[in-house]
Amino acid sequence: MKRHEFLRQLGLISGGTMFSMGGIQLNAMPTNLFNKNLEATNGKILVIIQLQGGNDGLNTVIPIEDSKYYTARKTINIKKEETLKINNTLGLHPSLVGLKSLYDNDKISIVQNVGYAQPDRSHFRSTDIWLSASDSKQQIYEGWVARYLENQNPSYPGILPTEPMAIQLGSVESMLLQGKFGSLGTVFEDPNLFYQLISGSKLDNDPPPNTIAGEELKFLRQVAAASIQYSEAIKTRADKGKNSLTYPNTNLGRQLSIVSKLISGGLTTPVYLTTINGFDTHANQLTQHASLLKQVSDAVSIFQQDIEALGLAENVTLMTFSEFGRRVNENGTTGTDHGTAAPLFVIGKSVKGGILGKNPNLTTLDSSGDIIHEFDFRQIYSTILSNHFGSKKEEVQNILFRDFTKLAIFKGTTVVESNNSTIDIAQNYPNPVFFDTKFNYFTTQNQHLRLSLIDLRGKEIARIKNEMHTAGAYSVTYSAVDLPNGIYAYSLQAENGDVKTLRMVVAK
Amino acid sequence: MPIWNIATAKHLLSRTLFGYTRKDLEYALTFSSLADFVDQELLKEIDIPAPPGTWITENPIVDNGTIDGQRYRAFNYWWYDLMLKEKTSMREKMVLLLHNHFTSQRSDVNYPQHMYNQQKLFRKYAFGNLRQLTKEITIDPAMLIYLNGRGSRSKNAVPNENYAREVMELFTLGVGNYTENDIKEAAKTFAGWTVNGLEAKFDANRVSTDAKTILGKTGNFTYSQTIDILFDQPACAPFICKKIYKEFIGIDPNENFVNKMVKVLKDNDFNLKPLLSFFLKSDEFFSTELIGAKIKSPTELMIGTLKIFDFMNPVINYEDVAKSDYAYIYDSSKTLQQQLFEPPNVAGWPGQRDWISSTTFAYRNGFSDSIINGKKLTGGKIAFFLKALDYSRTFDSSENAVKFIDEISAVFFQIPLSEIKKKILLDTLLEGTIAQNYSTYVPMAEIRLQKLYKTMMRLPEYQLS
Repeated sequence: MKRHEFLRQLGLISGGTMFSMGGIQLNAMPTNLFNKNLEATNGKILVIIQLQGGNDGLNTVIPIEDSKYYTARKTINIKKEETLKINNTLGLHPSLVGLKSLYDNDKISIVQNVGYAQPDRSHFRSTDIWLSASDSKQQIYEGWVARYLENQNPSYPGILPTEPMAIQLGSVESMLLQGKFGSLGTVFEDPNLFYQLISGSKLDNDPPPNTIAGEELKFLRQVAAASIQYSEAIKTRADKGKNSLTYPNTNLGRQLSIVSKLISGGLTTPVYLTTINGFDTHANQLTQHASLLKQVSDAVSIFQQDIEALGLAENVTLMTFSEFGRRVNENGTTGTDHGTAAPLFVIGKSVKGGILGKNPNLTTLDSSGDIIHEFDFRQIYSTILSNHFGSKKEEVQNILFRDFTKLAIFKGTTVVESNNSTIDIAQNYPNPVFFDTKFNYFTTQNQHLRLSLIDLRGKEIARIKNEMHTAGAYSVTYSAVDLPNGIYAYSLQAENGDVKTLRMVVAK
Repeated sequence: MPIWNIATAKHLLSRTLFGYTRKDLEYALTFSSLADFVDQELLKEIDIPAPPGTWITENPIVDNGTIDGQRYRAFNYWWYDLMLKEKTSMREKMVLLLHNHFTSQRSDVNYPQHMYNQQKLFRKYAFGNLRQLTKEITIDPAMLIYLNGRGSRSKNAVPNENYAREVMELFTLGVGNYTENDIKEAAKTFAGWTVNGLEAKFDANRVSTDAKTILGKTGNFTYSQTIDILFDQPACAPFICKKIYKEFIGIDPNENFVNKMVKVLKDNDFNLKPLLSFFLKSDEFFSTELIGAKIKSPTELMIGTLKIFDFMNPVINYEDVAKSDYAYIYDSSKTLQQQLFEPPNVAGWPGQRDWISSTTFAYRNGFSDSIINGKKLTGGKIAFFLKALDYSRTFDSSENAVKFIDEISAVFFQIPLSEIKKKILLDTLLEGTIAQNYSTYVPMAEIRLQKLYKTMMRLPEYQLS
């Protein structure tokens, strides 16, 4: 909501010149002079599926060999033998038959434990955090995709590119597509209906009054202008495009069938947003969750087969996300309350496939009993921007506000052992440890750092530091007096995903 | 206090009602001052309406889908009718505001009986005590179902924390004014309830008797005491006042003014009527900057459009509800994204710019066209069809094209239209002929008038209130 305030101020400063577009002139403008969409993205397309409500990650990718999972979820666990096993310790929810087959063909990369530091458990805050790519305590009022699109279309909003910058299937525009200067998305449910509704609308260049009402009027006109500009292009592409397979008759199935039609019709729009609602499973979650996952799996697997059959799969990547996972322990109403980190799927012909990250750690939970994230969600955004869209490093930094370590999601990429890590920690001194020992470490940027002591089984046994750090060098003394003799690891983890782990010996 | 004239009356009516008729405006202006109108008319306690059917007292029946669907329609139409015939009482506006604050979704609650009983609470407390309403909502069957209080236990069990979270985040304090632990502890005090038939039932054996610490207070609190703790928080009154400000003004609050609202609300122990009376008579509410800056909600747009065209007697067919005149309004509420009893999520409809996307803007235009055409975009007939000649002739200036544009512009728009815009409208009406030759009796006048009304309502200005 604050975004509007911001826009309003901005509009007043710029005197409203940025919205001086009229319906007819727009089409005649030499937009390709400014529009670098195509060459910059190489025709790459990202389709996002938002799972609204907080998808229960633990019941999506199930740690079938972890007894703590079955203890925490006495009534709503998924039995080991019912899961679709993807390796010795993980099984997919039985509804995910389609996704399992994609997994077997290396077309899904599953990234485990994706979240962020200081997790917020409000649906609305956490959704804003994911959509804007902000830190937990930071309020940003534009979407990360909008920032990417603004970079791609420097002439916006003065001149609109010939085809929509982003399309959202649905009705209410997401913050993901809201930029500094207004909305970058075209939102509709059905291309033909959209076209029919728009025909008959005209715009004028009459200057709006210099009041708040005038600002709201500019906003309305801007939406109208984009609709008039794009409804015909969308209809033309949809008419030309086709589906090679029949999609399931679900809301998500319909959304993805339209996406596929538009892509096959040649629309150059690089980002599509689709949504499926209902993941807030506080009570009686088993049936509801199974049905939702089936809808996702069925629609996504048909979509992937469809675009492969249409010969478009090289360019299209699909990503799922949800505002949070759910609490490890079930509640007393056969459901789960709001949680934190969860797995995320990146799907397509160009991904490597397989699992990234560890199985969820159900031993070391945070103070609310939730999973501690292993990857920051912006590491995935960073990876997609760099390795799918081909954005340059500085661009990615601008879009995500700082550097995030990329993940080896796409073919031909490897995990870079970061030479330019933002953190470092030295060997503790003294080592071996008799009584006290000192850890010296530093961070090159302001960020949240966690310094953990880990035993040989990988269990976090102490958290020496867990707080925001301003850039600089630090020193902390730790007393090992209560630790049994043995070998331990200590690990410094930064919220941008940088990690450094070293060993120490306790010998008393 | 602002003076009471056509300009201030138009602004007040357009914000506090679901649109208004020309008669409503005339009637409002018979009051001698803004204060008189607000205190004696707008906030007047009025009778509780007869219910939409006898089913409201029936015990809910599982898998009663078709019948419940029809009952929801009847309930919906009945509420539209209250809005349409509200005259100059803002009670129904407050009922919708409270529905959008203490949200419940029919798709989760299922039984229309529960949603009706919840709405009865909103109507009872429309101008009443918000703390008391919050207590009653906490154990309201629809809410117990919607936010999973139903069946939650805290004795030797983990309570469901859904309601505890949302009552703090969305109903009383706002995000950032409580901790995760406060939620867990409060959830224990909200446990113990089930829904039996139409009633909420409490079982003390399901509730932990341990001391709970909520927002710094420790004790074995009841749900009601927990609500008192929330209302005692300094964050509560500002949170409520900002919400009310935003609801009626459209944009984010002026903090200084909100502080004044907070004082009034606290001085009056969270009673809404004194707060509304203060707010709706303030200079802030009538500040020139804010006139016409609110984007109409779909319900305001639809009911307001019916009022503009004097479509005041739609028929509700309780025997065969789908055949009621409101069917088109109901169907449109879905495409325009404000289906009553079905807010998008627990935070409700955010309003203002969130109402507008490329598709909902287009649907708004489609809606206004269809009211003139008497048919949907897809061709099907609807109950509303403007007799453009008859309607136009109800205006004094109907036979003078230039004056007519002035007069109807003042009825259709809250912000004054520029001369350029009026010229566009005049050209639409005249279609190349000259103004002196225009009258509603010239050939094709009806079609030209229809086109004029459609053009007016397709202007973005029509979306502003």
